[in-house]
Amino acid sequence: MVWENALKRILIHLGLLIAAFIIQNSVFPLIPFLSATPNLLLILTFSFGFMEGQRSGMVYGLLAGILLDLFYSGPFGFYTLFYIYVGYVNGICTKYYYEDYITLPLILSILNELAYNMYIYVFRFLIRGRLDLLYYFRELMIPEIIFTAVTTLLIYRLLLFINRWLKEIESRRDTTIV
Amino acid sequence: MDSKYNRYLLMGLTLFCVVLIGITSVSDGWLAPLRTGVGYLLIPIQSGVNRAGAAIYEELSDFSRLKTALEENDRLKEEVDALVEENNRLLAEQYELRRLRELYQLDQEYMQYEKTAARVIANDSGDWFQVFRVDKGSADGVEVGCNVMAGGGLVGIVTDVGAHYATVRSIIDDSSRVSAMAVQSGDTCIVAGDLTLYEEGRLRITNIQKDADFKDGDRVVTSNISSKFLPGILIGYASDITLDSNQLTSSGYLIPAAEFGSLQEVLIITGVKETGDAGE
Repeated sequence: MVWENALKRILIHLGLLIAAFIIQNSVFPLIPFLSATPNLLLILTFSFGFMEGQRSGMVYGLLAGILLDLFYSGPFGFYTLFYIYVGYVNGICTKYYYEDYITLPLILSILNELAYNMYIYVFRFLIRGRLDLLYYFRELMIPEIIFTAVTTLLIYRLLLFINRWLKEIESRRDTTIV
Repeated sequence: MDSKYNRYLLMGLTLFCVVLIGITSVSDGWLAPLRTGVGYLLIPIQSGVNRAGAAIYEELSDFSRLKTALEENDRLKEEVDALVEENNRLLAEQYELRRLRELYQLDQEYMQYEKTAARVIANDSGDWFQVFRVDKGSADGVEVGCNVMAGGGLVGIVTDVGAHYATVRSIIDDSSRVSAMAVQSGDTCIVAGDLTLYEEGRLRITNIQKDADFKDGDRVVTSNISSKFLPGILIGYASDITLDSNQLTSSGYLIPAAEFGSLQEVLIITGVKETGDAGE
């Protein structure tokens, strides 16, 4: 029974990740007025890291990163490395976590997004001598940060709900066993 | 105790990633089966979602398009007339060309490439890279290094291929370099993608020899000496060519022939340029 539960939870989380990935890559580009794409995988990773702690965050980051790395050519592990750290670092903030508290997740979303973009800039652009950080900041980072923050506002509650629901399933099963 | 365990886990995973990055920077061929495997699962979902989304979007925009369609129809009729005339002239020239070619025994034919149509099913997340994925793969004869076209112009090159998908790096990507030449003069240059020019819809042209015959509005095509791109594919039109400060080379901008904003269908040339060495 416990195994069955764990498997169910893993499958639901995996389904969430894949859904986020596909929406991000295949649906958002079809929407013409969306000038930047919100980073759903990042939102998922930091949200669950924040809600569930470092270890869950790391596992989530690992899966999200592997998904991205598998999909795009380039050195494998580039995204995975970053997403693992997102999960871990946001997991530290889990002690300040309580439900219905949206300010901290919002701040975290902005910081994470900034870190993510800087990571790409430094390792993929600065390394090739592209020094115009201000341009990239203005044209790429700011729009993406804003879109991601707005999306966080919209879906954070949904993620909270899913998390609570998953926990409920588990506790219900636990009591029936006892 | 728990946080200590987490820290070890983090260190382990970091090491794992760094080693992987190191190995795959050198060669990532061994990952292909894994990527193809994941592709089997994800590609059907992606192309399904994409097709449904595109259908809905097209339905919505059909009405607004109908209004402009009539207007466009008139304009196109005029254009057809002009083109028919031009075509007649070109045909005549074509015969002449063939005759002259036979005379010179020149067997190099341009633009006679086998192509396969593919649909764009996913874009890269974020705006940092201009990389996209199409729904044709090695099963359809696509291989790494295949050139990709749309709207009569070069779009990009296949960088990664699975059984039923291929990843394409477009020429507007910041790391893209294409060896090109002006049609009229045959003078070579490099067409480079640049993220800072992406918004304006332009690319950069560099490495034009100082005394080369390169004017604004010249047609720029892939060059004969490129090791990755087949020769004679239209890339775009040169603009704002100026002499560099080193007084040795000129550079400028290129307006691409392909429309990158609304890329949905592309043509993949199933044939890779065979050359001895790698590099530009």
